[in-house]
Amino acid sequence: MENKFVFVKADASASEHIAAPKYSYWKSVFRKFFSSKIVIVMLFIAASIMLFSFIQPLFSDYDPSVKPNINDQSLKYIQPCLEYPFGTDNVGTNMFDAIWASTGNSLSIALIATAITTVLGVIVGAFWGFSKKMDVIMIEIYNIIANIPFTLIVMVLMYVIGRGKWQLIFALSCTSWLSTAYFIRVQVMIIRDREYNLASKCLGTPITKIITRNIMPYLTSVIVTSVARDVPSFISYEVFLSYIGIGLDESEPSLGRMVQNYVQYMQTPNASYLFWIPVFLCALISISLYIVGQALADASDPRTHMI
Amino acid sequence: MSVNNNEREVLLSVNHLEVTFYNNKKRFRAVKNACFDIYKGETFALVGESGSGKTTIGRAIIRLNHTSDGEILYKGKKINGPLNKEEKLNVVRNIQMIFQDPAASLNERATIDYCVSEGLYNFHLYDSEEDRENKVDRALESVGLLPEHKSRYPHEFSGGQRQRIGIARAMVMEPEFIIADEPISALDVSIRAQVLNLMNKFKEERGLTYLFIAHDLSVVRYFSDRIAVIHKGRIVEIAPTEDLFNYPLHPYTHSLLQAVPMPDPRIEKSKELVIYDESKRDFSGEKPQLREIRPGHFVFANDREMREYEAKLSEMEKEKKTV
Repeated sequence: MENKFVFVKADASASEHIAAPKYSYWKSVFRKFFSSKIVIVMLFIAASIMLFSFIQPLFSDYDPSVKPNINDQSLKYIQPCLEYPFGTDNVGTNMFDAIWASTGNSLSIALIATAITTVLGVIVGAFWGFSKKMDVIMIEIYNIIANIPFTLIVMVLMYVIGRGKWQLIFALSCTSWLSTAYFIRVQVMIIRDREYNLASKCLGTPITKIITRNIMPYLTSVIVTSVARDVPSFISYEVFLSYIGIGLDESEPSLGRMVQNYVQYMQTPNASYLFWIPVFLCALISISLYIVGQALADASDPRTHMI
Repeated sequence: MSVNNNEREVLLSVNHLEVTFYNNKKRFRAVKNACFDIYKGETFALVGESGSGKTTIGRAIIRLNHTSDGEILYKGKKINGPLNKEEKLNVVRNIQMIFQDPAASLNERATIDYCVSEGLYNFHLYDSEEDRENKVDRALESVGLLPEHKSRYPHEFSGGQRQRIGIARAMVMEPEFIIADEPISALDVSIRAQVLNLMNKFKEERGLTYLFIAHDLSVVRYFSDRIAVIHKGRIVEIAPTEDLFNYPLHPYTHSLLQAVPMPDPRIEKSKELVIYDESKRDFSGEKPQLREIRPGHFVFANDREMREYEAKLSEMEKEKKTV
């Protein structure tokens, strides 16, 4: 009879072998992020709004202070149609040009302010969480500033330094980084005394390297969450400030100025689109960016990577 | 049985060590007047119940905890308190630690390659990138892991494998002295022996010295040369392993030894447990201190207690001889 058994040598290393496929952090983030259909739709909406609002104004040369069609009666209050997708207003402005230029401007203000807030906040917060000396001073500064309403600070700053795009960005990011820094500080304090950080200390790793290699990777999802919260909130601050007339001046288009200009048409039956289109767009940007940001924050947390 | 300690080289010496923690105005003395020497090439175990200050002493030696009094000498040089940068780095180069919880002591967002070579990067202990990779490969191999594991992340490994990565990370620094803070208490029983044997292998190969912190006395008996028993931050007895198990003097040591479960159910059932109760002890007389009762066997006592222990010890010795 044929012997179907074969002698196998004992292999000690066989038990050490890991059968699971190789894990890659960013690949898993992508996989998790694109696993939800709503997120893909929202990403598509956010991306197309952004593309449109940054590219379309390059071709339209829209300038809010120039009103070329003011004397042409036939171009006033045209309802949205193929030629004028968003209609025209009381001075014959093509709203399609106006709205994309405004959206682009509002978005860039929000994005720049968020970038400044996040970079400054994360760097300061990381060292704040580690240094006890810094904590004593910073916590007092934070307590004072956090107890003044943010809107009030921004409004006072805008009155002092005047209206304008860069003034608005300055006013928005002037104190907002403090709350990001405080948020990061708390997170750093939670994980700084974990055993693996002590192990790094025992291996002689300097503090800056512990922050960049041990702490920051853990905070990716926390930072993304904070960005996802900041962008829509800065957009709404811009809208609010321009609406009450202290944000941007007349020469610069923005969603807030649109809403302020056309709020009078809210109840007008044939021209209410002038008010609702910018409001709707503003809401759409906020919601889509928030959902995309939240999904990214979830996806960048490796605890969600386990299947 | 006792070892003549005068002939051996003292690697680490802890003198009158105090570690105090502050919580606002409240003071808590976690370690009280601890004195012991660790000789080169031995395994010195520190045992006691949880919260007794074992880990605190270990962390004070490796400079993770501040000391409030006393001194720690490594090869005759002071290593606690303020040091200059070079001296600090010297401590790191020579003393390494193996941590208790393998799940918490590795950076989950870094590859094994980075985890193991972190110390090498910090001191630039390699000539070239190739040399570093070789060192990492060898370190992983020496703990029974494969070079292909380098690109993996810690969460993909089992507890025993992770603990071995922790050992590889410490060994790649080529230290002389290792503090093992309950290295096996978080591990499955089936792989405890594997990790202990690995540690013993390194001890033989490289002439390492261990400070082994544990609460499991059966493991300590197997693994260590000398034992210090610590209770509420105070070292109550230091003795060579067999002396301590055969002639436990301090009542706390006695109840600690009794708490070890016996594998024989009949003995276990008839065993009479003595629970150490400090409030029932007689503390009359002058302040006690750590005294040598037999060569190498120290016990925390004053004059009166010393006489009691002496009587108890002679009796036990007689009993052993007749058996």
